[in-house]
Amino acid sequence: MKGIARVIVEAGLVAVLASVVALVFNAVRPEGLSLVADRPYELFVPCPEPLGKVDELSAADAWRAMGRGKILLIDAGSETDFKGWHPEGAWNIPFDYILPVTDGDIRKIASSGASRVIVYGDGSEPDSGRELARELSGRGINNVSFVVGGAQALKAAREAR
Amino acid sequence: MNTAKGIRLNDVLTSSWLLVPMRLYIGVVFLVACVHKIVNPAMFAVDVATYQILPLYLINLMAIVLPWIELAAASMLILGFRARAAAVLTSGMMLVFIVAISVALSKGLQMSCGCFASQGAAEDPISVATVFRDLGWLAISLWIVFFDRKSFGLDYLHARFVQRRHV
Repeated sequence: MKGIARVIVEAGLVAVLASVVALVFNAVRPEGLSLVADRPYELFVPCPEPLGKVDELSAADAWRAMGRGKILLIDAGSETDFKGWHPEGAWNIPFDYILPVTDGDIRKIASSGASRVIVYGDGSEPDSGRELARELSGRGINNVSFVVGGAQALKAAREAR
Repeated sequence: MNTAKGIRLNDVLTSSWLLVPMRLYIGVVFLVACVHKIVNPAMFAVDVATYQILPLYLINLMAIVLPWIELAAASMLILGFRARAAAVLTSGMMLVFIVAISVALSKGLQMSCGCFASQGAAEDPISVATVFRDLGWLAISLWIVFFDRKSFGLDYLHARFVQRRHV
């Protein structure tokens, strides 16, 4: 452990020299960076949303559940898909992988008085309905389920009834 | 501390047979790490920015300077020239990386560490394992700082040369 101070001074000198070389090299290279960025970097880092636990529900069970108690049905699909088809009384909250559900929507769901929330989405992998259900559950909504297979399964199950 | 065979722990820690491979290992790690950063400084600047730790005015400066310090430290470790000073630099950098990754993990950022290439979070996400990997490299760097006694390399050859001239 002898001479640690001298070693640290040497390290400092090397760092300074390397920095000077770096700055000179950056100045002469055609694709060199400006020393200070002129505008903030646009970053794509998914912000972690609190995700909760949700129950899976088959489409047939979802229809059965709708006949019992106060159920809130939420369509996680796009506005166009929602307009194309949706069960009566369903709400549309399009799921977005980047933007979180607005606080207003969360408040609306929480004050709906529903004892159970059933979400359905596109049924693909990953399923927008499942993702939205997990987000709602993580944001404090209780008793949230999602329909396996999404809108297609729900539609098929209704026709089969 | 003595073992049954009478080998002292200090002899093991200062052994060239262990220190030289460790020096080469850390040197190669830093050499590989600095290449893409020097070739693509703009991409590395994005990696630095992604950590959301440094203020905007320091991001480009860090992206320009850090890879060259890595290159200098790596070359010195590989060549055995002022290896302890180089290991001080790698220790310092490892410490900075460990803090940065820990902060990013505590913020829940899903991102790549940007250590060896500018990959997406999906291919090379940071995790607790990344922190432990860097802690391992920090431990090896500190070992070199405190126990390297002129293991084989340029300094060793220079010392031998000087010794012969005096004899």
